[in-house]
Amino acid sequence: MQAKGEPLQYADVNRDVIRSLVETGPRYYIALATAFGLTLACFFFPWFYQLYYGLGAAGMNHPGVWGTYLANFIFWIGLSHSGTLLSCVLHLTHSPWRKAMYRSAEAMTLFSLMVAATFVMVHVGRPWFVHWALPYSNQMELWPNFRSPLLFDVMAIATYLTGSSIFIYMGSIPDFAAARDRTAGWRRHMYVLLSMGWRGTDREWHRLGWAYTFLAVLIIPLAVSVHSIVSWDFAMSIVPALHQTIFAPYFVVGAIYSGTAGIVTVMFVLRKSMNFGQYITELHFDNLGKLLLALSLMWTYINMIELFTGWYSGTSTEYEALKFKLFGYYALLYWEMILFCAVAPLLLISSRFRTSFVPMLILSIAINIGMYTERFLIVGTSLSRQYLPDAWGLYVPSLVEISILVGSLAMFVTLFLVFVKIFPSVSIYEVKETMASPEKEAPEKGTDAWPTTQ
Amino acid sequence: MADNAVGLFHGPQSALTAAGQLKGAGFTALELMSPVPIEGVEEVLGEKKSVIKRFTFFGGIFGACFGFILAAGTSVLWQHPVGGRPIITLPPFFIITYEMAILFGILATVIGFFISARLPAMNERLYVPETAVDKFAVTVVCNNREDFERAAAILRKAGAEEVRAMTEAA
Repeated sequence: MQAKGEPLQYADVNRDVIRSLVETGPRYYIALATAFGLTLACFFFPWFYQLYYGLGAAGMNHPGVWGTYLANFIFWIGLSHSGTLLSCVLHLTHSPWRKAMYRSAEAMTLFSLMVAATFVMVHVGRPWFVHWALPYSNQMELWPNFRSPLLFDVMAIATYLTGSSIFIYMGSIPDFAAARDRTAGWRRHMYVLLSMGWRGTDREWHRLGWAYTFLAVLIIPLAVSVHSIVSWDFAMSIVPALHQTIFAPYFVVGAIYSGTAGIVTVMFVLRKSMNFGQYITELHFDNLGKLLLALSLMWTYINMIELFTGWYSGTSTEYEALKFKLFGYYALLYWEMILFCAVAPLLLISSRFRTSFVPMLILSIAINIGMYTERFLIVGTSLSRQYLPDAWGLYVPSLVEISILVGSLAMFVTLFLVFVKIFPSVSIYEVKETMASPEKEAPEKGTDAWPTTQ
Repeated sequence: MADNAVGLFHGPQSALTAAGQLKGAGFTALELMSPVPIEGVEEVLGEKKSVIKRFTFFGGIFGACFGFILAAGTSVLWQHPVGGRPIITLPPFFIITYEMAILFGILATVIGFFISARLPAMNERLYVPETAVDKFAVTVVCNNREDFERAAAILRKAGAEEVRAMTEAA
């Protein structure tokens, strides 16, 4: 480490970031073993139990046939939303503060998507038939319905997973090359393969700049479409309180909101555990805080619109659904969601709050608890009050479902812990771009003119 | 005889100056290696064109056709009339078209990137590991000893910290 107060040099960035890859303390192994153990015990064991005894092990029953598995699916898809989307938007708008944090944010996207995909398997009951959901033609007499949002889902999420993986990989190629030169043994072999012979020539930088920008442009509308489509799974049904046109923007904003809160949590942990204090600074938390504030206001507005539409419709079923939501069996969850996602984030108005790390961590976790509640309320409880009173009923998750939720968190942490030892979790070359050029006589570099000036 | 003269610089501006002077002196096979993308390369070494945008465009078009044909073709081949509604329904099929356009656009962009950046490298190529950390290198192909001397002199004059003679491995 250079002496305190001295500005960072290019070589310091290489050293600090590559150190985070190769130097592994006992705390890391303890964390990894705990997370992996929890994944096995809380996710895979209950899942196999459910496979053996059938879906009855979950609390889903008539009328609550959409349980927490689908809520988890939407929660994880939502959490995935900010990483790549935010990274793309900030790349195109030339925001220099993106550079220290985008790699981990994108990794968050990737792993949340993977966890989300496992929930499809858990929910379907007979995962060995999951290929029936794939959109091929009718050779197997399955009559795939290309008019169903469920089939749109398969295509959108498969595309998003592919796109996000490619985006994070492309942006990492130069860093794999830097890691290749500084590592030995199996790590070196791995980085030789991953870097594909990158040399950092003018041609390579030029091509990477363009390809990366094109990918960003393609991924932004894709990300918006993914959560819109997930919302149509519900909005295109005729369930009271779900059949609303506001649902697509509601889901997209909610997804970006929970994803941004997730980024704050991940940044806090990375900053503490990897000693990245010089790279992930108050500026990042300040900017993320402003973004969270804006998103929370949008989210609150859309929530108010949702209530208003239900009330203004004047139909008895919508009234009943509204009354049930605000004052019924699950009302406590609703008001908890409002407290965590609409009221508490107002603290972000204060810049002192935004630049304090621990309060930001607590708020970001609270927001995600609130957003999980939102998904549970939409998916788990909306079927409780439908048209016919004799078909009313409550849904309460079983222990198996709760355990699988906890296990999915552990699975995400496990994947992330493996990631931070393989991918440089702070982008080496993009952090260098934000630093002063090593040449004293050279004019200080602009914020982020790459690649449009090339 | 050395195949390449490689000048190592402390910063991007002097490397660019050196590259410009080498070009002025008649050297054509020039390359820059750097830890970050350098601004203003094109003013010195000439405008760069890449085929990536064509890949993205045609990949997207192909994907859109593929998506629409998949949805519409399936509906036409295995007809399932629903209440007299059209067999080819445009609004939902547009979504399939849209997703596939993006998927194939992304895949084609990646292929275009690898082809035009000449990656992955199948054989050993000239490389200066310092350029992945904090050095900026100018490499120039020299045909004979005189060329090398001339190039080395230009590189040193432009402020190179070190000039190396490197042979590209076969």
